[in-house]
Amino acid sequence: MMVTVKLFGLLRLDSGVKQLELEAATVQELYPKLLVELSRRSPDSSLALKDLKACAVAVNECPAKPGTKLRDGDIVYLIPPIAGG
Amino acid sequence: MTNYAGYMGRVLEIDLSCRQEREYPWTDRDRELYIGGKAMASKIMYDNFTGGEDPFGPKNIIVIATGPVTGTFAPSSNRFDISTLSPLTGITTSSNCGGDFGFHLKKAGIDALVIRGQSPEPVWVEIDDGKVLYHDAGALWGLKTGDTQEGLKKELTALHGPKGRYGMVTIGPAGENRVLYAAVTSGERAAGRGGTGAVFGSKNLKAIVASGSHEIRLHDREKAIEHHKKWTAALKSHPLTGSQLPRLGTAGLVSTMQMRGQLATRNFTAGRFDGFEKVSGEALAEENITNTGCLSCPIRCSRTVEVEGQKVKGPELETLGLFGPNLLNDNLKLVCRWNRELDELGMDSISCAGTIAWAMEASEKGLWNNGLKFGQVEGISQLLDDIAHRRGIGDELAQGSKRLSEKYGGKDFAIQSKGMELSAYEPRRAVGQGLGYAVANRGGCHLNGGYLVVLEGLGLSIDQQTPKAKADFCMLMQDLMESISACGHCLFTSYAVFPRFLISKPNSPVTRFVNFIIPHIGWVIRLLNKCPGIAHLNLPLIPYTYELRYAVGMKMNIGKFLKIGERSYNVERAVNARFGVSAEKDKLPKRLTNVLQDPNDPSSRVPLEQMKRIYYKARGWGENGLPDEKKLRKLGIE
Repeated sequence: MMVTVKLFGLLRLDSGVKQLELEAATVQELYPKLLVELSRRSPDSSLALKDLKACAVAVNECPAKPGTKLRDGDIVYLIPPIAGG
Repeated sequence: MTNYAGYMGRVLEIDLSCRQEREYPWTDRDRELYIGGKAMASKIMYDNFTGGEDPFGPKNIIVIATGPVTGTFAPSSNRFDISTLSPLTGITTSSNCGGDFGFHLKKAGIDALVIRGQSPEPVWVEIDDGKVLYHDAGALWGLKTGDTQEGLKKELTALHGPKGRYGMVTIGPAGENRVLYAAVTSGERAAGRGGTGAVFGSKNLKAIVASGSHEIRLHDREKAIEHHKKWTAALKSHPLTGSQLPRLGTAGLVSTMQMRGQLATRNFTAGRFDGFEKVSGEALAEENITNTGCLSCPIRCSRTVEVEGQKVKGPELETLGLFGPNLLNDNLKLVCRWNRELDELGMDSISCAGTIAWAMEASEKGLWNNGLKFGQVEGISQLLDDIAHRRGIGDELAQGSKRLSEKYGGKDFAIQSKGMELSAYEPRRAVGQGLGYAVANRGGCHLNGGYLVVLEGLGLSIDQQTPKAKADFCMLMQDLMESISACGHCLFTSYAVFPRFLISKPNSPVTRFVNFIIPHIGWVIRLLNKCPGIAHLNLPLIPYTYELRYAVGMKMNIGKFLKIGERSYNVERAVNARFGVSAEKDKLPKRLTNVLQDPNDPSSRVPLEQMKRIYYKARGWGENGLPDEKKLRKLGIE
């Protein structure tokens, strides 16, 4: 399934990437593919798989889990831990 | 005088009517019971207010209080509190502020000021090493806050030469014109909530300047400095206080709130905004910004942005949310500009935006023909100026949404509690935060309400919709935050209390278990509250008790620390009871309690009455939502 992945918070600041297109059937399957793509686009970034897995995930703005299945055209949001206001 | 370190041992009372000062009685026993800051101010108001005072009358007092750690260079410790009877709500308000005024007040040899009376003419007060001087403020009256501070610097240079270092608090035109939500400004920071600036204005008090050379003593210097180092390192290495807040500021929350349905949109009719990315912390970070911080703060959460060629303070989450999505505005540059204008005029951005949002909806519904419309951003700058100077519809908007809804109708969508407009968190997707807004002593405030949203998606991820244990955790968080604030610490230090793994590994089995179990352990909190003796211990995760031991020399443990917060919350409630607060006033607008955010999800409203009953019981209050004499006596409140 071809989905749009949007990065937020420090993930965006560290990778310099706002969004990208990837193919994956579940959120879990997305992580390694995303890491490869981010490493390709910003080789200097020290992002690891654990940083991606630590993110809150939403699909089409609804909270999702690693096992959530993806459909063509879905928008996946990855947001690192955050607090304070 | 005091036997404790950290304190200067002096609370000074100033009567502006007769320009006289006296020592306000405050003993070491009082220090042990209330520490300082807001808790101390609440007790002073308890001792001074009978319930009949007019917020703009000479009998209203302003208490400006520091904590014992203010100026000790403990991390994030230079806060001070301004408390008074609020003209917006008619009950007490407290507003906490960063910057460096607290430090300079203590260098002047003073822990707290109690200001009463009314000056016949505009005045600014100088506290020079403990000595009080009254200066004519005629030339400063009418100036915005930035120009006022520049003007003060020039006058001080003329009086004392260029050598001095000063802390200042000032008001702008909004305070002078008694806008009910006028703020007090200190540097670029503000004591924003509840109209403290309007009370300054009613007393013809334009500014207070403090300076001095007193030593702020540490009890055990070696241990205190060692503790500061460890604590600073912990804050710097924590994912929230070491990475997110310094790099994204509070604005970084916008995206998470959007995903959680917690981003107040279109006067709280929705929790998501299509254009959220344009007004997010990420968008703000793309501007040419730097981060700054208060004195001795390693977190440095404040943003500096460029507005019309000038580097100025950037907007916080509340301003971004309420002047952005809540007005259907996705223009970030405009929010930055309005934020600057609000600071210069000296107005609280939360109440101001909440009142404008109500007026937009009232106009849309044909209740008040004021020309305002959601998404229509032209003319807002002029509107802010009109509010501050009480011109045209600005004169009406200066009264806040509660009064306007009583005049024109539309109470159900006046998003306020006890007269104070709510912050940017939509509580129908964080019901514990909804309870906090309703029961908060100062009115619709996210922090005074216990900031439960930090457990409900912004930090931890417990079930946002369940009412289970929310009342108990609301009480716990309120008490903890009262105590932290009383010390002089920034509340943001409390985020580092959450073990790192709970934040950096939100999907781990342990974190999931914690998120699952919290709604089932309300009884533990109630037990802890009833028997604080079981927490007769100190834990490295809670650094505040060590700080009080090493820097101040005060014996402290977690149970005692929480009890101080509980005492503070109860004494403030007891003052407010004299001004008519009871369970009936702990409410939210019907939009949040009776209307579903998602028509297909019956849980997407705040089940307020259910949570309130448990909250009062947990607090040991009656069904009227008030502590009785026995409860107050038990807490040592005399």
